[in-house]
Amino acid sequence: MTDTAPTAADQPTDPPLWSPSPSGSVSTWLKKNLFRSRLDGVVTVVAGTIILIAGFRFLRFVFVTGRWQIVRENLSLYLTGSWPEEHLWRLVVVVVGLALIAGFIGGFSAGRIDDDPSRAVSLAGRDRLVDLGSRLWPLVVTVALLLALTTTIGPLLVAAGAIVAAVAGNMAGRAVPGGMSAVPVVVGVLFLTLAGIWLLNAGLSWNSWGGMVLNLSLATISIALCFPIGVLLALARRSEYPILRWLSTGYIELFRGVPLIGLLLMANVALGFFIPNSLAPGKVVRAIVIFVLFTSAYIAEIVRGGLQSVPPGQIEAGKANGLTPIPIITRIVLPQAIRNVIPALVGQFISLFKDTTLAGAAMGLTDLLGGAEASTAQADFRGQGLIAETLVFVLLIFWAGSYTMSRESQRLETKLGVGER
Amino acid sequence: MNKPTDTDGSADPSVFADASQLANGDAPMVELVGVSKFFGDFAALTNINLKVARQEVLVVIGPSGSGKSTMIRCVNRLETHDVGRIVVDGIELSDDVRNIQAIRRETGMVFQQFNLYPHLTVLDNITLSPRLVRGQTRAAAEAKAMELLERVQIPEQAHKRPGQLSGGQQQRVAIARSLAMEPKLMLFDEPTSALDPEMINEVLEVMTDLAREGMTMVVVTHEMNFARQVADRVVFMASGEVVEVGTPEHFFTNPSEPRTQAFLSQIL
Repeated sequence: MTDTAPTAADQPTDPPLWSPSPSGSVSTWLKKNLFRSRLDGVVTVVAGTIILIAGFRFLRFVFVTGRWQIVRENLSLYLTGSWPEEHLWRLVVVVVGLALIAGFIGGFSAGRIDDDPSRAVSLAGRDRLVDLGSRLWPLVVTVALLLALTTTIGPLLVAAGAIVAAVAGNMAGRAVPGGMSAVPVVVGVLFLTLAGIWLLNAGLSWNSWGGMVLNLSLATISIALCFPIGVLLALARRSEYPILRWLSTGYIELFRGVPLIGLLLMANVALGFFIPNSLAPGKVVRAIVIFVLFTSAYIAEIVRGGLQSVPPGQIEAGKANGLTPIPIITRIVLPQAIRNVIPALVGQFISLFKDTTLAGAAMGLTDLLGGAEASTAQADFRGQGLIAETLVFVLLIFWAGSYTMSRESQRLETKLGVGER
Repeated sequence: MNKPTDTDGSADPSVFADASQLANGDAPMVELVGVSKFFGDFAALTNINLKVARQEVLVVIGPSGSGKSTMIRCVNRLETHDVGRIVVDGIELSDDVRNIQAIRRETGMVFQQFNLYPHLTVLDNITLSPRLVRGQTRAAAEAKAMELLERVQIPEQAHKRPGQLSGGQQQRVAIARSLAMEPKLMLFDEPTSALDPEMINEVLEVMTDLAREGMTMVVVTHEMNFARQVADRVVFMASGEVVEVGTPEHFFTNPSEPRTQAFLSQIL
């Protein structure tokens, strides 16, 4: 270890804590943060022991004692359920298409932010790749793990195709002239999404969806629908028109007061009491309806909190400036209200994503969790106590999705400057 | 000369004594006749009678809680008056939403707390209403906004957000935002009260220029120098009533009401 004291003495302008020797800074850091007092030291030792033991046991499970053959062989069951092989191309098209759309949206918004002198400039080239990696590493790691577990070349090709599509979409998005309105882009994305759903659904009914694809579809479709409904409910609850207020309040309090799994069971079993069976929609549609009904009540309350956080002076300014009520809400109040509640909203979306497993449990759909459970009953793996392996795999997938959502929401918050007025 | 014709006879003639030399022959820009407002049992405004002539600068002063802000907020219906009539540019304020919108379209208002839209750039703050209400194109609205920002001397701030500006700059943007709607009347509700002392003058200068250009202005303020130098008439309010109206000269040298004298002796 080199002594840094003389250097610091020779250059008195250097800040004293800024030590050029990394090893020196590690020991100082330890002393400053982990062993500042006797109590700190005890806590550090105890916590460190627990972390080491837990980490060791987990790593031993993952790399030594875990029997991952069951995951390897059932990968397609976990990811796509009992999706018929001859229809798999539909899924591939949709995955690649989604990558293209995501890349395009990213490129489009980045291009517009570059054009807006009031925003920070975006990163270029290699920095952008590093930034993307640091943002999406949970997803990247999970996908890499999935690819490592596969036994055929197909998934690799799909992944490669998706990456190429994302890059191409990104470049196309950046190429769009900055002055152009976002409306055609939004319409185009909506149209493509509907086309994707149609493509998945044509020749293959909702009810044969399964695996992770089912969880992801349930979550994305429900999130996309419950958000606008929740916003409308929140606005209705604050409306000056009493009937709207009563209806909205009644709805919110009803759906917040009942357990989700009860609603799902009801949609699965008891729907026949209300609608003739021939008219009742399929299970996936029922599940989506229940998720939307349930979550929009929560979204409404979150958004209502956001609406209350917007100072009344904002509405007065809009009125005094000649704006009518609808633009005041859509252009002034809602953007500020929603920006203020992004963390709670994303929390609710994450919760919905994880709750999609309840649809599997309550409605007999073979989602990711259901597939995992089913695989432990297969002849090859029955009675071997493999539930830990399968569950760890399932939880990893959910964690990767949820954690990515959470990180992206934090990024969005920083970008929109939440907390700054 | 345009002595007001008291249709209902309830108006105090002294209120209009000095408007005659200012009125330019048209109907008044703002007319309040017997206006009262209550918050529960509390009378916020009692029988207010006032006329503001076109191109007049009317400064409203008085102790806090005297109803100054409530009065000008009634003019563009941010508050609802309970009794009396308010007519702005020939349009009477009623529950009719169209009348309220028509009055708000041609009335600008500047608030104590600026109330800029924090999520929009300065430029978007200014162009939002012209585009949505007047149907201007983005290009036309932005050209006009830049012109206004030149006028309030902060064109270089156009692409920043309000949070990045000083209080004085924000208030000048707020003035530009109101002017973008090409109002016939500007209401100022204590525009300098939330500002640090060194920023008050930059805002008052913009307001003075505006007055010179012939804008009709109603200004609630505690800036007595502004009242003295720029006002055509000064209104003194206390306890929800108009106590005295007069030219600045009359007002600051020889006020007739004891309450006015007491107030002025406290602050000058």
